[in-house]
Amino acid sequence: MVRVVDEEHASLGIGLGHNTRDGPVRRVCSKRFSPDFGNERDTVEQIIDPIALYLICGLGAAGVALALPRRDREGGRTMTIVGGLLLAVTFGLGALMLGLKAGASDSPLPNYFFYPFAAIGLGGALRMITHKRPVYSALYFIMTIIASCGMYLLLSAEFMAFALVIIYAGAILITYLFVIMLATQAPTGDKDELLDEVDAEAREPYLASAIGFVLIGLLTAAMFRGIGDLPQPTRDTTLPQAEDAVLLNLPRKVDRVLERNDLLPEGWRVARDAETGRAILDVDARTITLELVDGEDAHGHPNVIATRVLTSEEWPADLSANNLDRLGYNLLNDHPMMIEVAGIILLMAMLGATVLARKHVELEEDLKAAQARKLGAYIGDQQGGAS
Amino acid sequence: MLQIIQPAQLAFPEPVEASVIAPYLFVSAAMFVIGLVGFLTRKNMIIMFLCTELMFQAAGLALIAFGRHHLGADGQTFVIFVLCVAAAEAAMALALVVLLFRHRESLGASAWKELNG
Repeated sequence: MVRVVDEEHASLGIGLGHNTRDGPVRRVCSKRFSPDFGNERDTVEQIIDPIALYLICGLGAAGVALALPRRDREGGRTMTIVGGLLLAVTFGLGALMLGLKAGASDSPLPNYFFYPFAAIGLGGALRMITHKRPVYSALYFIMTIIASCGMYLLLSAEFMAFALVIIYAGAILITYLFVIMLATQAPTGDKDELLDEVDAEAREPYLASAIGFVLIGLLTAAMFRGIGDLPQPTRDTTLPQAEDAVLLNLPRKVDRVLERNDLLPEGWRVARDAETGRAILDVDARTITLELVDGEDAHGHPNVIATRVLTSEEWPADLSANNLDRLGYNLLNDHPMMIEVAGIILLMAMLGATVLARKHVELEEDLKAAQARKLGAYIGDQQGGAS
Repeated sequence: MLQIIQPAQLAFPEPVEASVIAPYLFVSAAMFVIGLVGFLTRKNMIIMFLCTELMFQAAGLALIAFGRHHLGADGQTFVIFVLCVAAAEAAMALALVVLLFRHRESLGASAWKELNG
């Protein structure tokens, strides 16, 4: 049932109409894409028209520049609305151009759920940098985070998606909200004069937007050019079960799943390799070797009395390596040093934050005098009101 | 040609064409640049640090997208470390913001303009 498509004749990674959806087609990469440099420009053109890409960048820059906060007496509100409309047009145009190109060139598209998530994410990000109130900015950032969690799910990174909700939306952003409430005087009305001076207007909006969206055009063009040259993924085997290869390293998980399925009689367990401790099972042929263990011999090795093999019919349906298994094994097996480094970074940050935040601040003389005057006036008012 | 449900994407990651990954990379680049523009234009220090978080987020999305293409868990592992650095950065930055606010009673980055050499 598994067809193998040889990509020897495929000069580009995309858009050649190999429809992978009509069966379990597996790709075997016999060689890398041919280094035909004339193709680079075509790679961009197969995803989006370059002219449209630059037009979108220009429109986006204009929209952001107009939507950035400015004082109301300079027509701030109207400008914000115009900028927002421009940005909406930009989104629509971008989706349209991507869709047109993809429809014409027959290359597969991302899941349809991608488009709402991308729109919500980018819209939230834009509103975050254009909103005048810091609290709303933080809340829009949470929206962006949740939209990117959706994209993580579409990219089959389930654990990271939920970790992101917990860590970012649950912890980091709440800290931000606390600090915003600690450090700003909340304006009561909707008037600009009541806003903090620092939030009322942006610094150099046109220049910054222009530079930013030139950067976006360059980044996108560079990425889309290079993406045809990405090496194909490497796997041990080309069968769909290849993802389960990590189960070899997780014998206890295999034991647990077998036990749950009543496939392990008393005293039996999955056979382990004597030297490496890896489970003896064949993820391609779907066979598992079991062993009956009775105590240990003089060298501390388990005493194997009997073995038997579970055939592929008996392979439990829920015995597969999920995202968490693969991620956890990768984290602990391939990057153990980075866990230590991360621990040190977090410890240092905690120490530094504690030291910084508890430092007693000596106000400067004029600020002190101003505060004393304010307090005096307040007390005077109260006494005046009482008498 | 157009399919609403791609169940293979959700259960076992299968190899995907690069044209599936490209839109994610575009979103990542756009998010990064929006964060950059926000960092350059806004005067409020809290929002500036929020923009750096947005840039971290964009980098994470690109890592996950490339990890998806290579069908390995390395991309996701790196996002864990990006989260770690982001958390450390948030703690330090916010402590610093509170400290600076207590000094000048203002969140503006321009309240400290005499620092520029």
